Amino acid sequence: MVLPLLLLVVVLCAVLAGWALWFVVRDRAVVLRQLFGAAAIEAVLVVQAVVAGVLQATTDHPVDGPLFWGYLVTAAIVLPIAAVWAFAERTRWSSVVLLVAAVTVAFLEWRLWQIWGAAA
Amino acid sequence: MSGPTTTPRSTGAGFGRLLVAVYGVLALAAVARSAYQLTQRFAEAPLPYTLSAFAAVVYVVATVALARGTGVWRTVAWAAVVVEAVGVLVVGTDSLLQPDAYPDETVWSVYGQGYGFVPLVLPFVGIWWLWRTRSGGEPGTESEAS
Repeated sequence: MVLPLLLLVVVLCAVLAGWALWFVVRDRAVVLRQLFGAAAIEAVLVVQAVVAGVLQATTDHPVDGPLFWGYLVTAAIVLPIAAVWAFAERTRWSSVVLLVAAVTVAFLEWRLWQIWGAAA
Repeated sequence: MSGPTTTPRSTGAGFGRLLVAVYGVLALAAVARSAYQLTQRFAEAPLPYTLSAFAAVVYVVATVALARGTGVWRTVAWAAVVVEAVGVLVVGTDSLLQPDAYPDETVWSVYGQGYGFVPLVLPFVGIWWLWRTRSGGEPGTESEAS
């Protein structure tokens, strides 16, 4: 696990969550630009997965593989599902859903860091 | 989505979006955890891991049923949230009374402590929401959401 990548995901999630929260307060539905933001997070998650895979293959860093990849895959599918679900609702509740999803991904990243570190 | 008050409103709209989203996250967490426990470490703690698997299935059913939200899905949703409420109370209490039977955690251990007590609160929010969206419910309540 590369800490800068992980922090980047967390920061992006925080920004997206803040943006969604702002929309909740302003009583607005999710807009397409927020989904582009979610897509950017997804892109970083893919890079993170590739880096983690390479690190696992090339170093002997001991890590509980199934657990780690379970969390990584889960983190990657949260935002797409939430985006579809949120976009079907054209009220403030879509923003609440996006907010929950962004916070969830940030939480999963924190768990990933714990799992990676626990084996060290 | 308003329609006549004699028809139950869908549980998947408005506030229901949030409810389904939170259910979805919990279902995902429970399924992922359960898959890991069953495939990697089942022999270590058969009772908690079997309960985890059962809870995971119930959360998935609840998520789908609440997302569908009409007709027979409402009945399924009712059954799922009631099973969850009973499950978290019974397993939560049992895990406190005889901790030896639970060498590892389940979603419902200590009333869902490992998940921020969300498993304890969620079924009752679900019951409230199903009640709120029932047939003949107050008209226009959904507009409060917008």
